[in-house]
Amino acid sequence: MTEVIGVPRPRIDAPEKVTGATRYAADGWVHGLLHARLVLSTEAHALIRAIDVEAARAVPGVVAVLTAADLPTATDASDRTAEPLAREEVVFAGQPIAIVVAETEAAAEDGAELVAVELEPLDVVVDVEAAMAPGAPLARRPSEGAGGDLESIHAGVDHGEEDEPAEPLSANVLGRVRRSAGDVAAAFAASAAVVEGTFRTPWVYQAYLEPQTATAWQEPNGTLVVSTSTQGSFVTRSELARAFGLPEDRIRVVAEPLGGAFGGKFALIEPLAAGAALALGRPVRLALTRTEDFLSMNPVSAQVTHLRIGALEDGTLTGLEARMIVDRGANAGWGLEGITSSLVAGPYRWQAHDVVGYGVLTNRFTFGAYRGPGAPAAAFALETLLDELAAALGLDPIELRLRNAVVEGDVAISGTPYATIGAVEVLERIREHPLWAARHELPEGEGVGIAVGHWPGGNEPAAAVCRVDKDGTMTIVTSAVDMSGVSTGFAAIAAATFGLEPEKVRVVLADTASGPYAGASGGSKVTYTVGTAVLRAAAAAREKLLAAASEELEIAPDDLEVVDGVVRAVGAPDRSLTVAEIASKALRFGGRYEPIEGHGGSAQTSGAPSVAAHLAHVRVDRETGEVVVLRHVVAQDVGRALNPALVEGQMRGGVAQGVGWALYEELAHDEHGRLLTTSFMEYAIPNAERVPEIETLIVEVPAPDGPFGAKGIGEAPVVGAPAAIVNAVAAATGARLRELPMTPARVWSALHEQTR
Amino acid sequence: MIPAPFRYHRATSVEDALEALREPDSKALAGGMSLLPLMKLRIGRPEFVVDLGRLELAGLERANGAYAIGALTTWDALSRAQELRGEGLQAIADCARGIGDLQVRNRGTIGGGLAHADPAADMPAVAVALGLELVAYSAEGERTIAASDFFLGPFTTALAAGELVTAVRVPTPPPGSGSAYVKVEHPASGFALAGAAALVTPAGARVALTGIAGGPVPVADPEAGLEDIEVYGDRFAGEEYRRHLARVVVRRALERARARAEGRAS
Repeated sequence: MTEVIGVPRPRIDAPEKVTGATRYAADGWVHGLLHARLVLSTEAHALIRAIDVEAARAVPGVVAVLTAADLPTATDASDRTAEPLAREEVVFAGQPIAIVVAETEAAAEDGAELVAVELEPLDVVVDVEAAMAPGAPLARRPSEGAGGDLESIHAGVDHGEEDEPAEPLSANVLGRVRRSAGDVAAAFAASAAVVEGTFRTPWVYQAYLEPQTATAWQEPNGTLVVSTSTQGSFVTRSELARAFGLPEDRIRVVAEPLGGAFGGKFALIEPLAAGAALALGRPVRLALTRTEDFLSMNPVSAQVTHLRIGALEDGTLTGLEARMIVDRGANAGWGLEGITSSLVAGPYRWQAHDVVGYGVLTNRFTFGAYRGPGAPAAAFALETLLDELAAALGLDPIELRLRNAVVEGDVAISGTPYATIGAVEVLERIREHPLWAARHELPEGEGVGIAVGHWPGGNEPAAAVCRVDKDGTMTIVTSAVDMSGVSTGFAAIAAATFGLEPEKVRVVLADTASGPYAGASGGSKVTYTVGTAVLRAAAAAREKLLAAASEELEIAPDDLEVVDGVVRAVGAPDRSLTVAEIASKALRFGGRYEPIEGHGGSAQTSGAPSVAAHLAHVRVDRETGEVVVLRHVVAQDVGRALNPALVEGQMRGGVAQGVGWALYEELAHDEHGRLLTTSFMEYAIPNAERVPEIETLIVEVPAPDGPFGAKGIGEAPVVGAPAAIVNAVAAATGARLRELPMTPARVWSALHEQTR
Repeated sequence: MIPAPFRYHRATSVEDALEALREPDSKALAGGMSLLPLMKLRIGRPEFVVDLGRLELAGLERANGAYAIGALTTWDALSRAQELRGEGLQAIADCARGIGDLQVRNRGTIGGGLAHADPAADMPAVAVALGLELVAYSAEGERTIAASDFFLGPFTTALAAGELVTAVRVPTPPPGSGSAYVKVEHPASGFALAGAAALVTPAGARVALTGIAGGPVPVADPEAGLEDIEVYGDRFAGEEYRRHLARVVVRRALERARARAEGRAS
């Protein structure tokens, strides 16, 4: 029998991707296609006084120059879906103001630079802390209609209580979340050690390889078709319906193979392309350049976290007090304060906690999600202070964490009980690693740091269809977007459930007109939710198979088994029929059996958080402040590794992005709110040269409701990686950095302070 | 990412290129690793691009106690030029190896890079420290310009209108010499936050810095703390930090050059 679950196999889409055959959103061709280029605001906060489009319209090849008034939008809401082009008020530098549509990309670009926008500057809000003070200038004039429901996609965490602020705050503070239990002051008073700090993380760009791209056109019957690089086809359809006042059945969203997304591709580009196509009645493609993508899309929020924690002499954690400020940019609709204020407790038990999260408007971007949104910043603060607490108490840092790690049955500060959690297991696994034992015998300037990160996972109902053809192969149909190799996981789930070799399973990722429902790919929920639907669809098809086989073989279904595409009697393998033979009997004129097909659905309600422990080994050049990560070890509880090759890929990718958080990535604005880092010449990401050797340790604490015990694993591995590198730098140098990324100048300054 | 419209001519000879470059708003294209990105961003928008790519100006020749490096010699070729290493000219390979990425080094040329005169470019420091001379060719004939006279400021050189760099002359230092180039680079661009080139000969040392000001800066007294040198600062590396880095790279470049001169390092 072919072993399927737990066996590493290549991604089913790997050959076409590595040979360059995959057609991404910008590669398809549509008859009569026009090309669009955006005109972006050069001011961070301003009123649009006039837009002169005449010179642009006169460029040969330019078909139209569209402004907000030209788009057939249907609501007054001021979120970016509903207002793809700024109407009156521009709220960040880079916000789209006009679309130039032309017969060629070059003509569109020639036209775009000739559009003259007259802007009347307003007060610019760039300092998130100053923005909170009463009387601070407002980043957005007060208005109705924030709109949009994208928050629920990202994580299964509650929003906390709406907090009544003890302090007066400006109207820039749109989100207030408070989570508290027990007496924190008393907990600190009883502590043997209390440590605190203020931690800063910057705006970080998702840096997907494929810039945002969408193509839109109308079918002869009027249906709006949008072929796009998105994480979620149904959510994009709903957002387009809301933006343009169209019934959902008049919109078909086709999610093309995704060239990376990491949380950043949610209905931001589609309204621009669709609005232009609807306005002109012709197909329009908008494929952003890298610089446009940097300027106009939705990186993840900067955060400021004030954190204070305490512990008893034996290491028992006592109180947790946090004040977390999330820079939403100009996103009035929602913020990460709900998620980050829940995650700052880490996978640990606390006697008392008091956490306040604020979501604050500024004139920087409109924020979006990025792999574990709100989590790396929270873990950076908490895991740094846990190390300091261990030092203050004279305890081993892993021991301190182990004494407090949550176990099954504990309740997170969000109120959600942990139905399954492998925090203890990953810490024990990492403690056994020789690098941890060797950490005190390293050369001068080197150090090893530990940190833990977790992600709660998310849920959303989903369905899948399973069909078996006459040749004995199977097709799984879902509307999930494959962001991380999930379709290869679906193939494994279906093959193992049905009794087929995984090579015989095709996975079709359908569009919104033809596929069963699936939520967006995000929140580490696809395998856990859609995977379960796939399992049930395959099981339902298997019942059809056995019903037919039972009649053909005259053996009760319970006495049959399916092994590698053969249905046979348990204990009498000679009495058998192949799946192809049975399907052939069903799929023919006059056949007597129902097609071998199944539909499966899932509505998961239990959570399956994933947790990862990291060891980072760094070398610091004390003279220049440069940090090199020499080696990184990550141990993650994945529930069950359906395909260990893909699981390890996720772990490595998370660590690589964690290296970026720790050392390189920062979107910076000048004092006028203009972006300074508009290309990869200014914005550094960890390239292959800078990603260290990464050792992956898979830990399996099965999720009771996950397919074969699997958990959602995509986000957890990034969360603790930056903190581990921070702790490693501290181990190497004694310097504790409170701001990411740890650029050479910041590290040097911290070391310089030491010697002063 | 599409350049503004321009006309294009592929030069068939140096004379043909010079003739074409007489046109106003024309620009010579060598490897294109600086010019093309500027054009794609529409920061540079020449009317007329004269492609030098087919001219036979690549290669390394030794004559009269000096090497002549053809202007179109790529960074990659220079990073692998063994003969230079044996003559105390290791700084050239050090420098070439650290420029851009492999694709850039395969296309980018020494003549184009020097004539572009980016203030953070690596090679200008090496050119000044090693006493390189640029051969400028024009309708009037040929002249040589010492590197120390060539760089006038950011993106500004002593090349006159109608002049083209055709070669770079590298004087070979006396036996017992060694050189090195050391930089601390911006993690995104790879350009130097501070870079130092040092040449150590039996007669003494010569050092130049890059990345800290509007062009390469000769360092008269490397031991003297660099207090009197004007240093530029930005958001990523402020003035104090950059001055400190300059001291570090000067010391490291000198140490390595000295070790090479004394045969203690390769």
